[in-house]
Amino acid sequence: MDVLDLARTQFAVTGSLHFLFVVLTLGLAPLVAVMQTLWTFGGKPVHERMTRFWGQIYLINYALGIVTGLVMEFQFGLNWSGLSHYAGDVFGAPLAIETLAAFFLESTFLGLWIFGWHRMPRRLHLACIWVVTLTAYASAFWIMAANAFLQNPAGAVERGGRLVVEDFGAVPTNPMLAMALPHVIGAALLTGGFVIMGASAYQLFRRTAEQEFFTTSLRLGVAVASIGTVLAVGFGYAQFGPVGELQPGKFDTPLAGVGLGFMIMIGHLLQLVVLFVLLPVIRWLPRWRWAHPIVMLMTPLPFLAAILGWLAREAGRQPWLVYGRLTVADAMSPGLTPAMITMSLAAFTGVLGLLAVVDYLLIARLVRRGPAAATLGAAPLPPPERTPALTL
Amino acid sequence: MDILWFVIFTVLLIGYFALEGANIGLGMLLPALGRTQEGRDRIVAAMAPFVLAGEVWLVAVAGALFGVYPQAEGEVLFGLYPLVVCLLVSWIVRDAGLWFRRRTDGPAWRAGWDRMICLGSWGLALSWGAALTALATGLSIVPAALAGAAALAALLAFHGRAFGSWLLPGGAAGATTGTATGVPPGAVPGGTTTRSLPGPAVATGAGRGAAAPAVSAVLAAAPAAVLLAGAAPWLLEHTAPADTLNVLSLMILPCAPVMAGAQVWVWRTFGPRSAADRFPSFF
Repeated sequence: MDVLDLARTQFAVTGSLHFLFVVLTLGLAPLVAVMQTLWTFGGKPVHERMTRFWGQIYLINYALGIVTGLVMEFQFGLNWSGLSHYAGDVFGAPLAIETLAAFFLESTFLGLWIFGWHRMPRRLHLACIWVVTLTAYASAFWIMAANAFLQNPAGAVERGGRLVVEDFGAVPTNPMLAMALPHVIGAALLTGGFVIMGASAYQLFRRTAEQEFFTTSLRLGVAVASIGTVLAVGFGYAQFGPVGELQPGKFDTPLAGVGLGFMIMIGHLLQLVVLFVLLPVIRWLPRWRWAHPIVMLMTPLPFLAAILGWLAREAGRQPWLVYGRLTVADAMSPGLTPAMITMSLAAFTGVLGLLAVVDYLLIARLVRRGPAAATLGAAPLPPPERTPALTL
Repeated sequence: MDILWFVIFTVLLIGYFALEGANIGLGMLLPALGRTQEGRDRIVAAMAPFVLAGEVWLVAVAGALFGVYPQAEGEVLFGLYPLVVCLLVSWIVRDAGLWFRRRTDGPAWRAGWDRMICLGSWGLALSWGAALTALATGLSIVPAALAGAAALAALLAFHGRAFGSWLLPGGAAGATTGTATGVPPGAVPGGTTTRSLPGPAVATGAGRGAAAPAVSAVLAAAPAAVLLAGAAPWLLEHTAPADTLNVLSLMILPCAPVMAGAQVWVWRTFGPRSAADRFPSFF
């Protein structure tokens, strides 16, 4: 492989890893927020335990979302400096808005939520997870807007060999964004729903003591996956309109075509199973032990579909980085040597790959141990008695 | 408008070194200040609530670099290629240590990730020191970078120590005499236990309470501030056009009060008087 192939491999591997974790983050965040809302206003203990258990799974997953995201953000400058040089005056804006206005708030409020249990008024603590959820979706919006700009550089004109802003309003209203964003949100809810379903099915199948907890959770998972699959499939097909108009022949290459084909297949299978098999029997499903292994085995499918969809969208844009304007080859940092790219590829994929495996094992471990093992939001120790301190 | 965005960029970079620099410094000193697992647990639990709110300043710096100085972004990051890779890998390793250390039981697991926190923090400090030196000397990675790396590591360690003695006035060993007896944090010379955090405030005989970490924060951010002052004309030359800056101002400035307010909230909620020992830590 030459330097360009290695640089593309690095982006594809780190981007896929990032998306695997982000898609679950986006799927679980609103569910955890809803669980905590039910607990705050309803006061049922099962809702508190659900918030803490699914919240901890959300957080273990989040850790890898952050560290893979760091590599994504810096990778543009490392390997693709031609992109910021040519299109940075326009493309940089959605990225800057995402980091400054959305992720900055998301990270700060996430810290307040994780460490603020029992240390702030309950409604303020609830507000924190809602801010985290809203800013996570705002992040998704601006990152997808930046990606849509690469697919269809609307709102920009070339002046002096570089793209400049002509009408920034065209960036958040890009036709390559309008249908793709709800498609991705649907995929995220489908993934979040399936993770909850799969984990609940495992616990119910093993007949652990947590029957009530996982009965409620399994039904929630089916309901959310149903919403997710309607959005994902519906807005998936809705994208063919703008794509056919703006990027004719996008799925003609083998990689993009095969990726798209398999994703559609998985999407239809999941929709069929969720809407026409699981949803009608949602009342009895928690008791049908024979069905639980099937649900567990299907849990990886939404992740696979998400990666395939992303692959089709990105591979179908080749050889362009900014469609019709800047090729991937021209965007590569001038002077990038085989030694540099080999070193960074090995370092990033090695470290992140290893951590991703550890992270999934940790999630599996928590699923196996159940809600009693969740340490997030554990009750504080009683305040120390006001006895005189030990004289030293 | 370009001056305003230069000021914002400067505030973000200085904020990173002043706030996240403290977490990096404390991570570097983790095995030295917390000689037992219990001591390390207390240090990590005390700093943990500040990490997410601290590291995000660098994410913001990188985002602002891309949005405000797109013509400089590629040049700077590519020019520092090996250092940026080192910095990112160190950052990832440090964060993994924090997120993973309490995720399973067993002393070896937690001690192992504590070593990763320390290693990652050293990597961050050294690669930042080398990167700032390389930027100051015109993007050439020269032997002076080694001296720069050592100097910044010393500054951040000093800052981390001051931050640690402010957060844990009784020291890592668990003596809570500072808060329990109502003596202002930082004024307690670490009791008489050998594992306490005497800190610069005591060492220099100056400052009480938050004064010592405030002074060390200024020192930690000084190299980056000096560098930015020198690089100001070059950066301003590379500012994005006015149309781009208008978009950024319109979209980002309205969020600034909430961003600042949330940061203040973090520091007020998790400061030294928050009796953090009572709350089981997630990190």
